[in-house]
Amino acid sequence: MYRRISTTVSILCLASFGAACSSIGPQPWEKDLMARKEMQVDTHPLLTAAEDHIYFSKEASSGGRGFAGGGCGCN
Amino acid sequence: MQLKRTKPNKRVRESLTALSATLLAATIATQTDSASAQSYGGTNFNTTDNNFGPGVSYSEWDSALLVYQEAGGRVMAIEPQANLAVHGASGEVLTLGIIFDAVSGATPNGAAPSDKIQTFVVPLKAQGSTATVTSASGGGTVIHLPPTPGQIASAALGVQYIVAPNTLPMDKGFHDHRAAASLGWSQPLGTISLIGIGGSYSREQDYQAISVNARIAQNFNNDNTTVSLGINTEFDSSFPFGGVPTPLTSMTPAWKTPSTRNKTQLGFVLGWTEVVSRHWLMQLNYSYDTQSGYQNDPYRVLSLVNATSGEPVDYLYENRPNKRQSQSIFWDNKFDFGPSVTELSFRYFKDSWGITSKTAELSERINLFSSFYVEPSARWYQQSAANFFHSYLVQGQALPAYASSDSRLADFTSLTYGMQVGFKPTGRTELYLRGGYYQQTGTSHPAGAIGQLAQQNLFGGTNATFAFVGYTWDFH
Repeated sequence: MYRRISTTVSILCLASFGAACSSIGPQPWEKDLMARKEMQVDTHPLLTAAEDHIYFSKEASSGGRGFAGGGCGCN
Repeated sequence: MQLKRTKPNKRVRESLTALSATLLAATIATQTDSASAQSYGGTNFNTTDNNFGPGVSYSEWDSALLVYQEAGGRVMAIEPQANLAVHGASGEVLTLGIIFDAVSGATPNGAAPSDKIQTFVVPLKAQGSTATVTSASGGGTVIHLPPTPGQIASAALGVQYIVAPNTLPMDKGFHDHRAAASLGWSQPLGTISLIGIGGSYSREQDYQAISVNARIAQNFNNDNTTVSLGINTEFDSSFPFGGVPTPLTSMTPAWKTPSTRNKTQLGFVLGWTEVVSRHWLMQLNYSYDTQSGYQNDPYRVLSLVNATSGEPVDYLYENRPNKRQSQSIFWDNKFDFGPSVTELSFRYFKDSWGITSKTAELSERINLFSSFYVEPSARWYQQSAANFFHSYLVQGQALPAYASSDSRLADFTSLTYGMQVGFKPTGRTELYLRGGYYQQTGTSHPAGAIGQLAQQNLFGGTNATFAFVGYTWDFH
């Protein structure tokens, strides 16, 4: 029961958030900070890929930021 | 609102167009081209020398070297890599990437420690065989193996290694090399913000992986919202040294058949990126992945122990289910707090092997000067065990259908501490160095351990140190 309620609440929150997307967010002239390199989601792709590869080879989980799997036989 | 062509607004306009590229790059999970060359503001900004970004043809060169070392003389890896992204004026991006790996050191063979000496023999080169000695063969003493009915047809050579009492058994002969290359293309197409395709090929001495991916992304809401879908398929072949062992049979130095087993993989990532406010960027991904085929570690065994003493009586090759489905939700947030940028992400992962995991990462990038920054970071990870994980098997009990003692399938927690420093001598170059320490903590003494096993550390997890140095260069 608790699980069903929490799932419903989560869905409603996400739906509300999604519906609000059309009105949230900065205006075009307010995006100066977003244009900075350090505000990219992945500022150093090679570094991110290398660390993900380490975790993929030492843990059971993979993917999330990108596809699962590692293209190698290390796990 | 009409932006006027004054200098300050030009900066804003350039930033806006750059932001679109940022969002697209961010939401395409496997896309390696970043928007690092965008014309962002800063003291090094110069429209003559550093005008990189949408509407301009330019290229990005990214090269790096990773050095990874596990504690206790275990695995060491050296990995040079490079990536070139060529940007067209209309948003086309061609990416080329290469990676090389050299891996060596000792790796746990899966057997449990014992209070007595343990001896293991692995294949070397069967007489008359054209096979060459590779990863699983070194690090021990070469011995002559007499013909053994049902195991070795004729006399052969094997490699024997001896493990001291109360020590985690490890094969010290592990070494391998890997080379991988990737190729990708993306571009806007009509009203579609971005479509792309890519592929990669990876080859090791005993493994090969081929993958192909496709992706599509669309911007909405004044480019504050981007949704994307990426699909990836992979075809892997495992051809272990000594052949593919029959699961849950005794470890033997005999060459085995078949020599190759395959695995296929299909997955997708559904992404949503939102510029929530002037200071907050958010990304939410849902991933699904299914794998089918050979997923065993062909070199790994489990100890079959006496039901009373806990002493090993045999070593059996592991066996994992052929099917695996996994799902994950990844939520990433970036907050701009003036001189610093905070990144906070969470991931929840669940698969059909009974594994669930939670990951949280936090980093804080602090710009100390106009061209220098530091970025401390921390990562916490916790996973539950696969439902077929066993530290050992017990003699006299029915063998399970699937069993593995691989610590990567065990219940454990890991922590990573990292520090990155970056130096940007110009607006088009960056030199960065990152160091990290990775630490696993698991159940060393599981309840109910039999006999001498109660005194042993049964968690074979690892601690590792890594360093990463990289250099990026944007040029016309």
